[in-house]
Amino acid sequence: MKKTYSLALVSVIMLTTLAACGGNNAETNNTSQTNNAGSGTATSEPGSASDISGELVFLTNRTDMIDKQYADYEKRFEEKYPGVDLKFEAITDYDKTLKIRIASGDFPDVVFVPSIPNAELPNYFAPLDDIQFSGDIHFKDLKAYEGKMYGVSSGGSTVGIVYNKNAFEKAGITELPKTYDEFLAASQKLKDAGIVPLASNFKDKWPLDTWVFDIPTLIGGDAAHQNKRAETDTPYTLDNAYGKSWGIIRELHQKGFLEADVNSTNWEQSKKDVASGKYGMYLLGNWVINQVIENGAPAEDIGFFPFPADNSGVAKAPLNPDFFYAVNKNGNVGAAKAFIHWMIEESGYDDFAGFIPTLKSKESKLPQLAEFNSFAPKFFEPVSPVDAATQIQNKAQLDQAAAVQEFVLSKDPQKVLDKVNAAWAKAKKDLGL
Amino acid sequence: MLSRLPFNKQKRVVIISFVALPLLLLLTFSYYPALELVRLSFTSWDGLSPDKEWIGWANYKEVFSNPEIFGVFKHNFAYFAVGIVQNIVAIYFAVVLNGRLKGKNFFRLLLFLPYILNGVAVAYLFGYVFDTTNGSLNYLLGQLGFGALSETSWLGSESFVNYTLASIGFWRFMGFNMVIYLAALQSIPGDIYEAASIDGANGWQQFISITLPNIYKIIELNLFLTVTGALEVFDLPFVLTKGGPAGASETFVMKILETAFQFNNYGLASAMSVVLLLFVIVVLSIQRFLLNGKGD
Repeated sequence: MKKTYSLALVSVIMLTTLAACGGNNAETNNTSQTNNAGSGTATSEPGSASDISGELVFLTNRTDMIDKQYADYEKRFEEKYPGVDLKFEAITDYDKTLKIRIASGDFPDVVFVPSIPNAELPNYFAPLDDIQFSGDIHFKDLKAYEGKMYGVSSGGSTVGIVYNKNAFEKAGITELPKTYDEFLAASQKLKDAGIVPLASNFKDKWPLDTWVFDIPTLIGGDAAHQNKRAETDTPYTLDNAYGKSWGIIRELHQKGFLEADVNSTNWEQSKKDVASGKYGMYLLGNWVINQVIENGAPAEDIGFFPFPADNSGVAKAPLNPDFFYAVNKNGNVGAAKAFIHWMIEESGYDDFAGFIPTLKSKESKLPQLAEFNSFAPKFFEPVSPVDAATQIQNKAQLDQAAAVQEFVLSKDPQKVLDKVNAAWAKAKKDLGL
Repeated sequence: MLSRLPFNKQKRVVIISFVALPLLLLLTFSYYPALELVRLSFTSWDGLSPDKEWIGWANYKEVFSNPEIFGVFKHNFAYFAVGIVQNIVAIYFAVVLNGRLKGKNFFRLLLFLPYILNGVAVAYLFGYVFDTTNGSLNYLLGQLGFGALSETSWLGSESFVNYTLASIGFWRFMGFNMVIYLAALQSIPGDIYEAASIDGANGWQQFISITLPNIYKIIELNLFLTVTGALEVFDLPFVLTKGGPAGASETFVMKILETAFQFNNYGLASAMSVVLLLFVIVVLSIQRFLLNGKGD
């Protein structure tokens, strides 16, 4: 009899668990549906600013700041807004993971904008135009759609030459190069002194993004070059900004100004080598300065100046946004907006991360940025990406950094451009653009 | 309660309840996703949007007509070639370590150890070995007096980067193959060898006529593992070369990941996965056909 009972009990438990599973599913489906339906109408009226309370989760990519800076942020933020219970969740592989979580319909209140077209932003995020910042902010229009802003940049960065002052001294470079020819001469001096002039980290691909996005901006004097690709069948030619930009790194490679074997570079090691003066320069964003200093260089030994992409002598530099904060439109919108406001104005995150502050009026505390600004560079702010260009690029499966690699290594660079252009034109035609 | 039922019914209840759970798990976590993959391969889903537009066979046409996609399969050939050598060496070591040899357990352990290491860790490790300027391999070659050879760019040469990568796979999986062969060898009864040596057969004749036929099924199994491994290789090039130089070491699985997560084309990526699955089946059928034809 006992057996009968226990068996019956087990089967009942199993059945209920199974049933519970099913019920749960149905329930979540329902809620997400109603949420979607409800928010369609709710977006028109901005969330009232008064209800700043409840739980607030921020999904971040800075795993290194958990329990350190974030613990401090939480304390300070909750002091100002006692009703809010702020939580940080850090993940790696941010973009992929976040997209999957967004697709599942349930994601944290404050996130960084994933790589999706701007037209899809209103489907997931709340407009942030009603956050009252104390001044003008950078990159207002980049994550916007139909006149509404959905993303606030967490900070900006620029790109230039990060260099080791000791290495320059050792090579006898007394004046920083202001033109491309002077840059080549300085590189030659570094090479003659047994120093690798420029650490390209060619193998890792992503450091080459500079040559795809930033240097063409400086050469063409136009930040919209990525968008303008959508208007032509041959966006990459030897005599336009891309060909010229990629030609520079090709020339540097051929003159032996990059690593001895560009196919065998090591990013972590290169930071140590720039710090110790074995390598002379990086052409990267200012974010790398702090990392070089962490790898053993005294802060005063590391300098930063704009890359002279041509011989005009005019200092030019791009101004790029870092991740954008966005607010889950089904989440705790009021508290989320207060949090973004606080992160931008009060947290001090921009100085910690080495960013150029999002607030136009705020000055960076990084001495290297001060040195950079002493060249009075003309800054180019990016324009918001046109979906057509992104679509064609995805359709053509074009990895521009890989194309740079091929361009530099190939004996016949024109052929590489022809191949890329052919794929571009075909994708453009297939999409009917 | 069960004991009151007739024996046959009892048997049936037990079988069904024991089989149901694994089957349920198999269906939800293996077959359902696989079917979903096939369904997605007919859509142009971007991985995010709620509507998955049905586009028929267009993705499959793209896979086969675009040499950029299908052409990378030839990079996998290096892994296949090295995989064959790897199996021969594994049989050799298995035979040697199956005989009387001092410290054979130690050698078995030594050869098997690389398999236990995590793939990504192995890749990082060999990143330092194959580094052109600071790598241990080139340093060793330099010390041995091979001046020119010691400047080889092992991971930077389009002609043999795949063989360099495949050699890492060799180092890692040879011991695993060897252990499987060893197990097979140990199941061959010793009296067959005794009888053969009484009849005057030498070591090589014994190997050809006794050992090989007895481990035939296991060779087939190991080749199966090698072929699928060669077709699906991913971690080594992904960590070490990122597909470079100039795409020379890109593999099909890397291409799939790139298509899905970089170019947001989940539909095409799904189609590529299905094609890879079919490709594995086709290659294995050919292999089975050839080996069985010889074996029977």
